[in-house]
Amino acid sequence: MPFPRTTTAALYTIGTTGVIDRFTNENLAGKLLDIGVRPGSRLSIIRKSPFGSCWYVKIDRHCLALRKQELACILIK
Amino acid sequence: MHSNQVTAPARTAVVGLVGNPNSGKSSLFNLLTGLRQRIGNFPGVTVEKKSGKLKLAEIRTPVGTMDGEIAEDVRGVREVEIIDFPGAYSCYPTSLDERLVVQELTNPAGDLYPDAIVYVADVTKLDKHLLLFTQLRDLDLPMVLVLNMADLIEETGLKVDVERLSSRLRVPVVPVSARQGTGVDELKEVIADLLRNPEAYRPEEPFYEPGTRARDVLSELRRVLPARNNYHALLLAHHASWLKHIPEKTRHLVQESRVKHGFHSLRAQVEETMERYDTFEPIVRDTVRRGTNQSSLTDKVDNVLTHQIFGPLIFVVIMVFLFQALFAWSAWPMDGIEWIFESLGTGVRAILGPGWLTDLLVDGVIAGLGGVLVFIPQIAILFFFIALLEEVGYLARAAYMFDSIMQRFGLNGRSVVALISGHACAIPAIMSTRTIANWKERLLTILVTPLTSCSARIPVYVILISFAVPDVSWGPFGAQGLAFTGLYFLGITAAMLSALAFKLVLKSPERSFLMLELPEYRSPVWRNVGVTVWQKVKTFIVEAGKIILLISVVLWGLSTYGPPGAMDAARTQVQSQVETQGLDDDQAADLLASEQLEASFAGHIGKAIEPAIRPLGYDWKIGIALFSSFAAREVFVGTMAIIYSIGSTDDELRIQDRMAEEINPRTGEPVYNQATAWSLLVFYVFAMMCMATTAVTKRETGGWKWPIIQFTFMTVLAYVSAMVVYQVLS
Repeated sequence: MPFPRTTTAALYTIGTTGVIDRFTNENLAGKLLDIGVRPGSRLSIIRKSPFGSCWYVKIDRHCLALRKQELACILIK
Repeated sequence: MHSNQVTAPARTAVVGLVGNPNSGKSSLFNLLTGLRQRIGNFPGVTVEKKSGKLKLAEIRTPVGTMDGEIAEDVRGVREVEIIDFPGAYSCYPTSLDERLVVQELTNPAGDLYPDAIVYVADVTKLDKHLLLFTQLRDLDLPMVLVLNMADLIEETGLKVDVERLSSRLRVPVVPVSARQGTGVDELKEVIADLLRNPEAYRPEEPFYEPGTRARDVLSELRRVLPARNNYHALLLAHHASWLKHIPEKTRHLVQESRVKHGFHSLRAQVEETMERYDTFEPIVRDTVRRGTNQSSLTDKVDNVLTHQIFGPLIFVVIMVFLFQALFAWSAWPMDGIEWIFESLGTGVRAILGPGWLTDLLVDGVIAGLGGVLVFIPQIAILFFFIALLEEVGYLARAAYMFDSIMQRFGLNGRSVVALISGHACAIPAIMSTRTIANWKERLLTILVTPLTSCSARIPVYVILISFAVPDVSWGPFGAQGLAFTGLYFLGITAAMLSALAFKLVLKSPERSFLMLELPEYRSPVWRNVGVTVWQKVKTFIVEAGKIILLISVVLWGLSTYGPPGAMDAARTQVQSQVETQGLDDDQAADLLASEQLEASFAGHIGKAIEPAIRPLGYDWKIGIALFSSFAAREVFVGTMAIIYSIGSTDDELRIQDRMAEEINPRTGEPVYNQATAWSLLVFYVFAMMCMATTAVTKRETGGWKWPIIQFTFMTVLAYVSAMVVYQVLS
């Protein structure tokens, strides 16, 4: 299921996949880049955490736990 | 570099092991050094420093080659120091751990500045792990790239063209499997060559050239910054404000220059990182062919283990199993250790005969040591499980699942790791918080972790519960066992609620992050688990042993000797009492013992604090135990042993039985009734009774403020709750 054109990854539903376009927050961008999340990476939303507010995502082949605010700064094309 | 070669090696060569978290760096370190590791602290910082010795076969060139003569090669063994640096993602640190890596690798004058770097990368994640590699390479350090998890190359059908990778990155590349122990000999050879001939491994050109804005700043600062090259200078310009080796004056210059040239640190970092990815990504694509999707197993397992409903349930089951096993498995080795020390005490007493030296050895040293060593099985089992959960990758999942709950209490998902480890020992638990980047979350975790019931509380609980709860059971559930579980819940509940209280008081503008890597599940490397257990147990024996030994001896002295005259007066008084009341020898001896204890220095201390603790239901003898417990709570049992055994004729009785015989002279009731026992239990759940933890809190928070707050808060909590419990129950 494709994302609509360039939206934030916070407007996710489970099972959505898209390619990262850019980040909207420099502070978070630095950290995300460091752990290997970068424009061009394929992001898929796998599941929501048991008590909400966190998401289990896959960046390319690697699993990552991100908070909702952290996903919100990732733009998907 | 040249100066290093000319001067004789005044210091042992230092090899730094660097890599991303989860790259298997520590596995490789354990493989290279075995148990020849030393754990210390990085100077000036609190991060745990692991170092070890590595023996390299070497062709030693004797002094005298400098004049050009061809000297005879001397084959020998060279010992180098290998340092396991904390895992880091890049030269732009977010956590304390990462800061340390940047701090040491940008300080050529420092003691820990490596002569060579062994860079460890997970071969399945090269596309991420090469970021830090290219950064360190640009710092002009001799490097070898280790492709760890080489066992997965065959398993998953991954294909790596090692030679091509090596020629494109222009460093030696060695595939190693830390799990199977392959590739180590080759790695050692490369390290030896790297140290022998560093010039041959210098980079020809950097992976990254600083952008225009940065260049302006750099051209201005190169004169004042002690930098080896442009990239080194760039990092100093980025991080001058917190790097310890940059003098205050230089910091100001850097700041001025940054403002003047409009150098935006964050933007420059993002640009640099993107450019680096663009540089090395084609190299990875060119040399690595991906095989089958190897993480499908992880996906399946995580479908269950991190499931929205089953995930937390499974977590609870694992924890229940863990603590069940802890008590079930440790029972008989603990009995064994107790038996050994009892026999040892009896033996020593029989050999040496009565006398002050015998008393000191048996009641002080042996009883004290036995009281400590009896914990070993429980500590070993607890650390075994925690190391195992960490090894397979489960702890990261726990952090993910509970992050949102933790956030509500002002903590971070990563705090889960500390709160679980705290049940073994608060010290490593507090040290594990350094992965939490947000200061407030980290501080809260440090403050509340000592409220979780660590293993040193176990023997205190065991002894007191027998007075607090009758030994009855309903089916498989014993009342005492349930009470035990209840105390653990009390501890963790108190920890969470305290965090909430601190959260409301403390303000922090800092942003909080989760951004947690969930590594693939891997079967554990047993060597790593074993090394962890061994190290923790060893540290516990040495550190706790020292304190407890010292306190037992001091306490024994304090309770055997008294102010001049007081002991004699007690003896005369007992003698007259014996004569008037016609007591037999046993009664006389017991009376003398208790009167002398009261007259001793310890008795005076106990009496002095008695008024303060009477509302809690304690007498002056418990006062002595409380007082000594503030050094380390596990001293309680030893103190009880000393207080209730001195002078007594029957050494066969266990501490519990002696305590049960104790009668309160005012009321004529047993001292250890239900109310007092519960009150003591609650006191020991909450009170901050561990000097070692206070010391760690001081180190980790960088001052006396927080340890004092922590100590006061916990002690007040303990005092008030114990008083309430006693007043309600009595």
